[in-house]
Amino acid sequence: MIGLSLIVAVVLGPCGVIPEEGPSKGRVDYATQIKPLLAQRCVACHGEARPRGGLRLDTANFARKGGKGGPSVIVGKSGQSPLIEAVKGDGAIERMPLKRPGLAPGEISLLARWIDEGAIAPDNEVPTRLNETHWAFLPPGRPAIPRPNLEKGETALQPIDAFVRDRLAKAGLSPSAEADKITLIRRLKLDLLGLPPTPAEVDQFLLDASPDAYGRLVDRYLASPHFGERWARPWLDAARYADSNGYSIDAPRSIWSYRDWVIKSINRDQPFDQFVIDQVAGDLRPNATLDQRVATGFHRNTPLNQEGGIDQEQFRIESIYDRVSTTSTVFLGLTMGCAQCHDHKYDPITQREYYELFAFLNSVEEPTLEFATEKDLAAREAVRKEIADHHIALNKRHPEIAHRMKDWEANLTPAFKVDQPPEIKDSFDRAVDKRTENQVRLLTELFLADVSDYKAEKKALAELRKRVPVFDTTLVVGELKTPRVTQIHLGGDFTRKGTVVAPGVPAVLPRIKARDAKRPDRLDLANWLVDPANPLTARVTVNRIWQSYFGRGIVETENDFGTQGAPPSHPELLDWLANLLVAKNWSMKALHREIVLSKTYRQASISRPDLDRVDPDNRLLGRQSRVRLEAELIRDSALLVGGLLNPTIGGPSVFPHQPNGVMDLGQMKRPWKPSNGPDRYRRGLYTFFWRATPYPALLVFDAPNSIQACTKRNRSNTPIQALTLLNDASFVECATAFGKRIVAEGGKTDTSRMEFAFKTVLGRKPGDLETRTIERLLLAERNDSKPDQDGSEASAWVAVARVLLNTDEFITRE
Amino acid sequence: MNESMMVNPILNRTRRHFFRDCGLGLGSMAIGTLTGENPVRGEGVPAAKAESGIARKGHFPGKAKSVIYLFMAGGPSQLEMFEYKPELQKRSGQPIPDSFTEGRRFAFMDTFSREKPKLLGTRRKFARHGQSGAQVSELLPEFAKMVDNVAILKTVATDVFNHAPAKLFANTGSQQFGRPSMGSWVTYGIGSESRDLPGFVVMQSGPRGPRGGAVNWGSGFLPTAYQGVPLRSSNDPILNLATPENIRPSQQKRAVEAVAALNRQRMEVTGDQEIATRVAAYEMAFRMQTSAPELVDFSGESRATLALYGVEPGKPSFGSQCLLARRMVERGVRFVQIYHSEWDHHGGPGQTLNKDLDVSCRDIDRPMAALIADLKSRGLLDETLVVWGGEFGRTPMGENRENIGRNHHIDTSVMWMAGGGVKSGIVHGMTDEFGFAPVEDRIHIHDIQATILHQLGLEHTRLTYRFQGRDFRLTDVEGQVITKILA
Repeated sequence: MIGLSLIVAVVLGPCGVIPEEGPSKGRVDYATQIKPLLAQRCVACHGEARPRGGLRLDTANFARKGGKGGPSVIVGKSGQSPLIEAVKGDGAIERMPLKRPGLAPGEISLLARWIDEGAIAPDNEVPTRLNETHWAFLPPGRPAIPRPNLEKGETALQPIDAFVRDRLAKAGLSPSAEADKITLIRRLKLDLLGLPPTPAEVDQFLLDASPDAYGRLVDRYLASPHFGERWARPWLDAARYADSNGYSIDAPRSIWSYRDWVIKSINRDQPFDQFVIDQVAGDLRPNATLDQRVATGFHRNTPLNQEGGIDQEQFRIESIYDRVSTTSTVFLGLTMGCAQCHDHKYDPITQREYYELFAFLNSVEEPTLEFATEKDLAAREAVRKEIADHHIALNKRHPEIAHRMKDWEANLTPAFKVDQPPEIKDSFDRAVDKRTENQVRLLTELFLADVSDYKAEKKALAELRKRVPVFDTTLVVGELKTPRVTQIHLGGDFTRKGTVVAPGVPAVLPRIKARDAKRPDRLDLANWLVDPANPLTARVTVNRIWQSYFGRGIVETENDFGTQGAPPSHPELLDWLANLLVAKNWSMKALHREIVLSKTYRQASISRPDLDRVDPDNRLLGRQSRVRLEAELIRDSALLVGGLLNPTIGGPSVFPHQPNGVMDLGQMKRPWKPSNGPDRYRRGLYTFFWRATPYPALLVFDAPNSIQACTKRNRSNTPIQALTLLNDASFVECATAFGKRIVAEGGKTDTSRMEFAFKTVLGRKPGDLETRTIERLLLAERNDSKPDQDGSEASAWVAVARVLLNTDEFITRE
Repeated sequence: MNESMMVNPILNRTRRHFFRDCGLGLGSMAIGTLTGENPVRGEGVPAAKAESGIARKGHFPGKAKSVIYLFMAGGPSQLEMFEYKPELQKRSGQPIPDSFTEGRRFAFMDTFSREKPKLLGTRRKFARHGQSGAQVSELLPEFAKMVDNVAILKTVATDVFNHAPAKLFANTGSQQFGRPSMGSWVTYGIGSESRDLPGFVVMQSGPRGPRGGAVNWGSGFLPTAYQGVPLRSSNDPILNLATPENIRPSQQKRAVEAVAALNRQRMEVTGDQEIATRVAAYEMAFRMQTSAPELVDFSGESRATLALYGVEPGKPSFGSQCLLARRMVERGVRFVQIYHSEWDHHGGPGQTLNKDLDVSCRDIDRPMAALIADLKSRGLLDETLVVWGGEFGRTPMGENRENIGRNHHIDTSVMWMAGGGVKSGIVHGMTDEFGFAPVEDRIHIHDIQATILHQLGLEHTRLTYRFQGRDFRLTDVEGQVITKILA
């Protein structure tokens, strides 16, 4: 186990805020050069609490004094100082830090020089406390852009490439060549738009020999409205967006306007800081626009428990816990959940601080926003009044109805009651005297519809009801006029209240600039999240984008930038990117462009034995990585290839075909009426997501459960995936359509059809071996099927189509 | 640790295979596994392979190879089935003493203000059965004959009194979403012995699925390869298992072969071992297409066996699922869970403690007795742990809805276990005079989880996975193996 972890260590070497030592310039400065180094690499075990071997390294004095084995620093004599022997690991002392990556040679010589120069340190030195010096809590540095040797034919390097090359060079590695143009365009379009390029697009790109051909392609794709669809999806994962409430009842909800807002905002390149503020506190902005209120749906994506017999307060609290956790994971890359019950064991977040953050979110109210103008509402009010008047008249005309209804209701079966729409079901659940006027009216109308007399009344009321205008709605967040009091929940138990706390942010992070210093509110929190002084948000954000392009983040633990998280593989690059994002006024498109234009991104993904030996996980980016497509994109690609894709953007979620029986697995057996119209072929991100019974083809390919924030999807590789691509009716439908396209559009010969098929699916022509495989398949298919006019020929090509849609390459971005 | 080993190519290769074979793409694993740790630590066993068709060693040799977990969704009433309390009978109709309810929260608590809850005696007749003399009511006549093969646990407590969170708690050890379910932990820890069937299979009996749905058998932060695969009662037992109607078996075979050929050719070009995993996944999928229909085909079962379970051919039932569970265990499936869904007997329509409870009990009585008997006669009971229970118990107080029922109760419930190295013919634990709370040998749901893992050879404190900077486990920070019930 240790051996395996050390492999990473050798490859990565240390990370840190310590600059590599240049040619010696003046005296080593303890405060800026040595203390941070000791803090980062040594103090975890040699600090105030239970120092190993009695040795403390949290002040220079302690280092000189040493531990049980005597002094560790011999002033002026680095060669005799046990500290140096330990970090070198070439003497009798075990190499330190134990079981951790060793110090870089530059760091060791820095330490040695400090000792040789007299181990000078301030007298009044305060012992280092852990965490305070954790890299992620310090503001991003302003790293100098390295100047590695250029490859043949290069004149300059983009900063991304300079950082990556520099690191590669230190490991004695060279980058990979640029991928071929077909791979490039396929990679780029899948990454930016989530769709494979058409053969015509590929041809056009191949023919375009101008030096800026690729750059123009990038610009074109960034401007496409499908860019917003592609990049909305990871954000929706983080926002735990779904179309139902979750838990056992899992009732549907209407919040697709929030999803559409995300798409739209990404398409118009709304600055990321504004994007965040709108979502966290759009409602509190002065003169909040409709869009800004829709954006607050971000924090309405919490699951909602509607089970009978629950303690409402308990589940209100659950939703706030969820909001705290989502806020800290998504923006800060921190896990605060531990501090719900006790002070965080590893990160400098106390339980009190958890509830201070909680306090910002504890006073939300949960209105539903209706998309209606004043005039719309007045029109609806008018019809409602007509209905009310009609009921009053009805009661006068037929006073017996009230009485008859009692008998009628008493004889209804439970099944009948349960099957009614929610507002009627609610009415049945209430005691008769507790029903609202409107409920009584709805029940009356149900009664009229259920009995055979009163036909005219029934008809008149039904027609009135049809005239009531219905408006789209979405869930949003509002703020209570009087804030709720927040108390610490002792042991995380909301029934055991502790100290009252006010809204606040963790002390380890910069202070919040509140508009009203006495009472910071949610808008202040939102501003604080994206304050350039906040060391986390920009880093966390660029890291997640990077992760999408390279299969892993610069910080591999994308949801944990705390002290237990993985150190960044390229700390300077991470900081440079974070600074870039802020400098470009938080333009995400600028960030995307910078990444996809880099040589690092454009490298071939083919494995290289020399890299595999030293860097098997490709953390140093000596090549690109092959990355399996996300669940939705597999569907989208198959639809596109089959010529079926309906490219409509936005609107209510849709019900494509799914296998029978899926909804049986939910407690409530929710409906799924598959669309047979154009909505059958919409992109995967529009598929209605029931939390209790998610669309299987999405889940099988690792779409998240949408119950809590997900900032990185798994990429599994399972037999159930194989069954889905082989047998699921949706994919078979795509294959069938594609097979027919091959026959219709692929020319007349096997060769031309094969070429068409490969280019449509994979962007490239088949190789010799592949051609032979397909020829064998065609031959067998033709022999095996009854000769029935053109049918058998089409079915042979459907078989080919199905095989191609099942290849690893089709579902992989190479 | 010698530094020169760090660049040892063999180690590198092991590491690479670990990633590739484990069914995940690069970069998709949590940092804990990045260190190459086997889920089962300290055994020196080869690194984890997520392909569920590969068995791995546990922390120690376990008594059980498989688990069949009969989950009674809704919370079965122990007081109608297993717990006879003369004092409760005597004081039926009287308010429960305040000392029991003060300062405590219950489901549907708003009803308490209307009327103080009253004790409710059972209307069911109880008798002692077998050599153990265990009490079982008239509701379970067949099961009553099997009590000497079973350990009845009378004091199982949980933390949560609403269905969905309580089910999540029983299955994942946490009320919070996002944790792996028990079957996922188990297959993550020790894989499965079946190469042709999923290692963790879930079945659902009755008209509806369990509350909360898929999260109850989800893999949480563990790789998706470990999530439970629903086995359905319809013709297509696994979603998308059947070859589409218009495709003949010969065509399917050719398609799979051609896909494999193209994939291998691509692997030659790219050198990406992940493609090898995909080829293997397609091979297993193809095998499943044969093995799963064979699994659900009862034509090889004797008439006596079908009668034992009460299986009527072509009719899905709890009985046929119990029989399926036995057939799966025979084929090496590691963890089988059957949800039976109507146990929420509050007293409302369809939820009465009389005829509705009758129906639920009739559904399960013969099949579960048959399962024990059948496993035993085939010599499989020793290596199969059968577990029965719900997400919580029910109160000794009655609940007045249209009819008399009982409320959710977390202080105690009854579960039973059979086989798999658990003592047979014992009754463990004791509750107070009303059956309100344990007075002896209290068991917590985390203890049940710890015990199930233990019987499979897994130490619950050591079966961990690092996520968001913390090592998580099924039993959170609690759980003790119930050693008193182990044979």
